[in-house]
Amino acid sequence: MDVAISTLLSPIILFFLLGMGAALLRSQMSIPEAFAKGLAIYLMMSIGLKGGVEMAKNPLTLDIGLSLLAGIFLSFAIPILAFVLLRVTTKLDRTNAAAVSAHYGSISIVTFVAATEAVRLSGLDSSGHMVAIAALMETPAIITALILALRGRQPEPGGVAGSERGELVREVALNASVVVLVGALLIGWVAGEDGMEPIAPFFIAPFQGVLCLFLLDMGLNAGRGLRNGWRTLGTTTIGFGLYMPLISALVAGAICLALPINTGDAALLITLAASASYIAVPAAMRLALPQAQPSVYLTLSLGVTFPFNVTLGIPIYIYLASLVTG
Amino acid sequence: MHNRLRIELIIERMAYKRACRILEASGVTGYTILPALAGFGGGNRWQRDTDISSSVDMVVVVTITDEEKGTTALQEIERLLGNHIGVVNVSDVRVLRADRF
Repeated sequence: MDVAISTLLSPIILFFLLGMGAALLRSQMSIPEAFAKGLAIYLMMSIGLKGGVEMAKNPLTLDIGLSLLAGIFLSFAIPILAFVLLRVTTKLDRTNAAAVSAHYGSISIVTFVAATEAVRLSGLDSSGHMVAIAALMETPAIITALILALRGRQPEPGGVAGSERGELVREVALNASVVVLVGALLIGWVAGEDGMEPIAPFFIAPFQGVLCLFLLDMGLNAGRGLRNGWRTLGTTTIGFGLYMPLISALVAGAICLALPINTGDAALLITLAASASYIAVPAAMRLALPQAQPSVYLTLSLGVTFPFNVTLGIPIYIYLASLVTG
Repeated sequence: MHNRLRIELIIERMAYKRACRILEASGVTGYTILPALAGFGGGNRWQRDTDISSSVDMVVVVTITDEEKGTTALQEIERLLGNHIGVVNVSDVRVLRADRF
């Protein structure tokens, strides 16, 4: 309960709620697109560097390797579960259900960053390898979702006009978040603690303040997405955006029972499984499944699941992690 | 002055490279891409400043070409727009330097 209250009352979450409230009340406040993207790159660089330095201190072990495999498995498997639930409980067609399921199998790096802070505030330790797991969980879900969407469907003669096979592969494998996260992780790993020291005043000290600013923008985005797109979602689809993270969390929690993992890392793995992408996957879906409606998958992941996860979800996932790791 | 065809394509940002490849393959000598700030379509409003994934905002692709290349490009663009969000309009324009188009 204390974790839930301290998470909800942390400046990071309060700024998120301020942004969301302002957007729902139709405030004209906005953060310029280029600045917001710069903030996102800063946060990914910072978390990647910190993860890399931690990795340099603790070598890769079999236990960590198992966690990496668990993350990849979750990203491949969760879309199947999400797809079946969507097809059974909502009126979404195969293409839209597959596109939504890709979002829920992939991860939200901002939710991960918020969870990292909540785990730290709870006095728990987490390892730097979790950043690598986050990066690895970005893309497998897209592959599963494409298989689900295209199964039994005749490919278009000649494909989509102007398309090029390498375009989607580049978007999926080399999207900005994967490149910056993995790149910063490797740089932090190579540089180690000594190499990090001179750049720490830029990447470590201002991190929380920048995160507040970024979450204010995310609140605005989530609020505006919800305000503009909620009409396109039915009650059952909105319900999916609220219960799916909990189901994914339970699946990840069950896997953590079998893993040699500490509570902090388990909380982060559960959060990653429960989070939904709204940066990398929407872009990939516009290329791979242009027939799917962005107003459905983007509103759901950004307007419904993201606010749920950063406010109520993270404390639940930390509690679940404490239960499964004893 | 010489008569040419001006093709203006308002298309989702994620697909504009596909449109540009079509234009290049059909032999147009050049095109310009402009950002769009915000808009409304398909029952939804969108705004570039609030689209963190850059997956729902639009760009404008403008090209001026001759009738033959323009017709070839438009056939493929029509096929592209069967999948992607976009609006295309064509107008007759007059240009000063015919050899550029």
